[in-house]
Amino acid sequence: MKMLKYFIVGIMLALPVQAHEMVPTYPRLEISHMDGLLKATMKMFNKRADVEYYEVGVFDKDLNPIPFVTAYNVFKLEYLGHVTFDIYIRASDRYRAVYVCSRSKIRKDGNTKTAIASKICSKFRND
Amino acid sequence: MFKKSALLVGMMFVPFATSAAEVPITGTVESRCIIQTDSAGTFGNPNAYTLTTKPADGGEPAIVRYDITLADSYYAEITPPTAFSSAPALPDVVTWVGSVEVSTVSDATGMGTYETDKVELGDTDRYDMTATGSTWFKISSTATMGGEKAFAGGTYTAVAEAVCIAK
Repeated sequence: MKMLKYFIVGIMLALPVQAHEMVPTYPRLEISHMDGLLKATMKMFNKRADVEYYEVGVFDKDLNPIPFVTAYNVFKLEYLGHVTFDIYIRASDRYRAVYVCSRSKIRKDGNTKTAIASKICSKFRND
Repeated sequence: MFKKSALLVGMMFVPFATSAAEVPITGTVESRCIIQTDSAGTFGNPNAYTLTTKPADGGEPAIVRYDITLADSYYAEITPPTAFSSAPALPDVVTWVGSVEVSTVSDATGMGTYETDKVELGDTDRYDMTATGSTWFKISSTATMGGEKAFAGGTYTAVAEAVCIAK
């Protein structure tokens, strides 16, 4: 029975999948080259063939949005593409900003179906 | 004679020695949460006023997999669809019924209580991902048109949300 379970898990792991990942899990806010702004660097990898665009946001502990600056809030990331991007927030928001999240943007297409919007939220380190 | 042969043999090895070079391939392993979409799901249409992901009615539930490499560091929050993201004009109000459940786990001991320990926050189910490994979640959804009115012909898409939040 246990072997059968491992076999099923193995088969499922081997099936083609669509993945969204963002690191680090606990980014550190550092002093940037601009006065009054802090910076965190994030990396993303798109293994979702059905998704080309991702949206980035910065949020407080209750997931309310916090002002931030990055090169593009919504950016194109090709299938199997990597991207490294910087997030800038005001130093005054240092302790209010808790999460930085990336969310997949689903394209409208011609099937009657459900779609999965994936969202990954990293948490700023407070040390 | 011996010296000449030794020199010749030595020279033969020179090109190999000089052409050898190390090509380092580096990588960094970071703890992470990965959301994998195994199946996006499909609606079946068992009657004029229902769209459902139930396999018995011609649908297919959505399956998402969470891969966790750092124990006790993430929450998985999954919300079944609560509206259509694209649809033809709707003649009445649509009622949504959705559910999320753990379908398979890679570590029965560490993940065995995920389903019983989940917290329901409105439409969203929150799971505390306390173990490393993979967890598959099944997302089911049924949309019923009010007054048993028929869904108009066309394309319907509804979006479920799978979130991974660092603790």
